[in-house]
Amino acid sequence: MADDKTPAAPAAGNNPYTQTHVVQSGDTLSKIAQKYYGDPSLYTQIFDANRDILKDPNKISPGQKLRIP
Amino acid sequence: MKKLSVWLLAMLAAFAIAGCANQKAPAEQAISGAETALAAVQDAAQKYVPDQYQTVQTQLAGLKDAFAKGDYKGVLAQAPQLTSAINSLKDAAEAKKADAEAAMAKAKDAWGGMSTDLPKMVEAITSRVGMLSKSRHLPKGVTKEGLASAKSGLDELKTGLNDATAAATSGDFTTAVSKAQAVKDKGAEIMKALGMGS
Repeated sequence: MADDKTPAAPAAGNNPYTQTHVVQSGDTLSKIAQKYYGDPSLYTQIFDANRDILKDPNKISPGQKLRIP
Repeated sequence: MKKLSVWLLAMLAAFAIAGCANQKAPAEQAISGAETALAAVQDAAQKYVPDQYQTVQTQLAGLKDAFAKGDYKGVLAQAPQLTSAINSLKDAAEAKKADAEAAMAKAKDAWGGMSTDLPKMVEAITSRVGMLSKSRHLPKGVTKEGLASAKSGLDELKTGLNDATAAATSGDFTTAVSKAQAVKDKGAEIMKALGMGS
């Protein structure tokens, strides 16, 4: 799972063209990956891109704004 | 009587010749002045108002032709028109040059933003194309054809961005902005096809 010592996610953080998703109640990273990629197994990619705000891929909160690489 | 007529004719001819000779120097000076004035605006005129420059050159050539034929009076009569035409040419060239410089400054400014912005757009699309290429299924609204088109479009974006950068490097910001705008439009199209709307 998430490693607290891993550096924050990359430059995409400052990229205005990177799509974002505001977490809704009931969302999981898998569901979000399914929505944007068509493949829930790619949730790790979303987690990796948001390590600066996510510590655990199983813990996301409504209102969080996630980058979708 | 006959002798008187011959003398009269000779006198008139002498006056005519003297009159012509009197006009030759001013005519020569008028042409020389016009040539100098035209030379002073030549570069800008050729660049910014080439048609008008050509017209003035034709006028000047007409004057030179008249001078060569000894029509000094004609040269002097037409010289003010030529001077006026050269002044108009100068004004027009300066106005066009100012417009061109303003447009170039505007393009340079626009390029400044685009040169920072567009690589980010390309980066975001590259990232999404990479993700969708890894995906076992495609999300709703994205087709295999759309993804394939996005991949080839991405190459176009990179080439277009390189071309725009090269144009900017050579100082041609107008071309750079034009090419960059094409990249931006194409990028927006790809983003839409990949469902990167928000």
